[in-house]
Amino acid sequence: MSASSATTAGVTGPDVRHSATARVNKHKADWRGWKFMWPFALVFIFVFIIPICYAIYISFFKKQMIGGTKFVGFENYARLLGDTQFWSSVGRVALFTCVQVPIMLFLAAMMALALDSMKLHGTKFFRISTFLPYAVPAVVSTLIWGFVYGAKYGLVGSLNDVLGTNLDLFAPNILLASIGNIVTWEFTGYNMLIFYSSLSTIPHSLYEAASIDGASEWQIVKSIKLPELKGSLAITVIFSIIGSFQLFNEPSILQNMVPGNAITTYYTPNMYAYNLSFSGNQSNYAAALAITMAVITMAIAYAVQLNSMKEQMK
Amino acid sequence: MRNIKRIVAATAAVATLVGLAACGSSSNDSSANKGDADKAELVFWGWDSGNSMKQIIANFEKANPGITVKFNNTGTAEKTSTALSNAIAAGNGAPDVVMLEDPTVTQFAVTDGLVDLSEFGADKLADDFAAGPWNKLQYNNKPYALPIDSGPEMFFYNKAVFDKAGVDGESIKTWDDYYEAAKKIRATGSYITNLAGTSGDYQPFTAQIWQAGAQPWKVDGEKITINMTKDAGMQRYIKFVQKLIDEDLVDTKTPNWSDDWNRELNDGTIASLTIGAWMPINLMTGAPDQAGNWRVAQLPQWEEGQQVSAEDGGSALAVVKLSKNQAAAYKFVEYMTHGDGAQEMADTGTFPSLKKILQSDSFTDPTTEGNKKTNDYFGGQNVNEVLAEAAQRPTEKFQYLPYNPYAQSTYGDEVSKAYTKEITLEQALTNYGKKLAEQGEQQGYTVTVK
Repeated sequence: MSASSATTAGVTGPDVRHSATARVNKHKADWRGWKFMWPFALVFIFVFIIPICYAIYISFFKKQMIGGTKFVGFENYARLLGDTQFWSSVGRVALFTCVQVPIMLFLAAMMALALDSMKLHGTKFFRISTFLPYAVPAVVSTLIWGFVYGAKYGLVGSLNDVLGTNLDLFAPNILLASIGNIVTWEFTGYNMLIFYSSLSTIPHSLYEAASIDGASEWQIVKSIKLPELKGSLAITVIFSIIGSFQLFNEPSILQNMVPGNAITTYYTPNMYAYNLSFSGNQSNYAAALAITMAVITMAIAYAVQLNSMKEQMK
Repeated sequence: MRNIKRIVAATAAVATLVGLAACGSSSNDSSANKGDADKAELVFWGWDSGNSMKQIIANFEKANPGITVKFNNTGTAEKTSTALSNAIAAGNGAPDVVMLEDPTVTQFAVTDGLVDLSEFGADKLADDFAAGPWNKLQYNNKPYALPIDSGPEMFFYNKAVFDKAGVDGESIKTWDDYYEAAKKIRATGSYITNLAGTSGDYQPFTAQIWQAGAQPWKVDGEKITINMTKDAGMQRYIKFVQKLIDEDLVDTKTPNWSDDWNRELNDGTIASLTIGAWMPINLMTGAPDQAGNWRVAQLPQWEEGQQVSAEDGGSALAVVKLSKNQAAAYKFVEYMTHGDGAQEMADTGTFPSLKKILQSDSFTDPTTEGNKKTNDYFGGQNVNEVLAEAAQRPTEKFQYLPYNPYAQSTYGDEVSKAYTKEITLEQALTNYGKKLAEQGEQQGYTVTVK
């Protein structure tokens, strides 16, 4: 009872003063916002801010089996600069991003446009079934694809037997493309949905006006729909870049399915960090790696965003 | 105003971190955490492959009424050692007793995470255990864990495939015989075995070089000597395996423990394995179509007339230094490895390391239910008799690196290149040695590479 009255007083209090001084109210409103914020802020600080600060903190130390833990300043970062394994993994995910992301987003945009054209039968079925792979856990879908790719006992193996070919999708030089195919399969539907939802915000009156003006379907796509997609394109590009720089599940599951050792322990930056900290006893160095990767990814995402903002200003 | 709040928040966060870090670096210097040997609540981390831990613990508690044991199934060896190193780093949350894979014991002993069990008289038990597992658990000549099982390296072969190639598996006594057999088996389309150089092949690799008498890693306190190629034992191993790769006598595309591996064992493409004595149960489940065809024999020797064995795998129980109940914890370890628990473990499928059990009649009795099932799969052979003989063969001393998990996970990165024929095995092992040396230096060791 007293609590509720106190709350009422708290809420009405500033309102009473509201008419008196507008400037005070501004500050009060700030505090009131925090009351609504705290459940989120608390979780945010504990699961996001503190772990990141902790990672930055431990990245300045070095833990050794002989000698224990000592402060080393930026030594871990300096070592990272000269670590060829690290840069080879960064190069690999960068290449992956440059090739896989455009293909996936192009497919997603095409699907969204097709769905939005209203000329397809079974739109609902199509929409759900393209989105479904996103709902399958990455581990499961990688296993499924791994069995499909198998050159000895998989579907590819059976095809090879029938056609007399010698296709091996696990060969080291095309392995990255095979992983790209899995990721594309997983995430095209998700991106399609983002595109589709932004297309569905276009008022129908625009289409009507366009058709009264005698615009063809292609002109409608070019002049109305594609410009509308630009905004969501920036978002999907940023999500996809972040996603592929963090590539981990697919290669680590495939590691034991691929003949030989085409997937090394430093295949992607995340795998490298994982191996360093869990089997290499180098969690400090792994933290430095993680921070560096975060900075690289943020820089790229920021560049993309700046670029798209410039585009929208035009 | 807003900035001030931010600063306050940041300071608070940093303060929390410093607090955390302080926990992290608090070292435990008390060695007098023995506690009451008859009254304690123990926490035990481990995995339960025989699905029998609950029963064994209940029996222990009955025999020691003051002690209760809480078993946390940590799943796999890798997860257990990761969790343990995190708990030790944090300074709390560690168990009293932990199950570890043999080669990781040294790592924890070096970093002062485990109790030297000779404090409780465990050093006097040396002669009761098979030499292979016992030798692996010593650091500075002190036992830091007691073995619960062992894995003498064996030669498993598929008799049906061998017959087709006109090879008698029993007559393969040396690695030269093995090479001749490999050629005949390759002519039928099968491979004598698979070698792919991935991290899953690391354990058989160490077992094989161990048997060859190699000493690639020598650890002496803070000094490590790495000699991956010039050691005489390594030389004969390298020459032999290189020959198998060059002449296409081994399947270099199928890594151990992959799906393809099980399928090839099941359809006869892979005709034999040199692997630990714990393999029968895996063959029975992984290659059901070959029931009745597999046989087991002693490992081929490098020189005729020798009887040298080596160990592949195996796990052990250790007492964690952070424990406040070390005396009671040791009591439990002793019960599980050396006392009545060891027999119960053996009865539920663990391959024993205790000589008493290995030599007992019931272990090789073909009429027990477990033995009968295994022997049927092996075409009526008395499997445990062969395995028990191997377990009691002498082994050379062999040292793993104190950072064995790293050595295992990165083995494939370098060595697999020899199996895809990008470089020679000698070159691959040289590169591997360099990488291991780098890791050693990162960990504060003084490393010499030969």
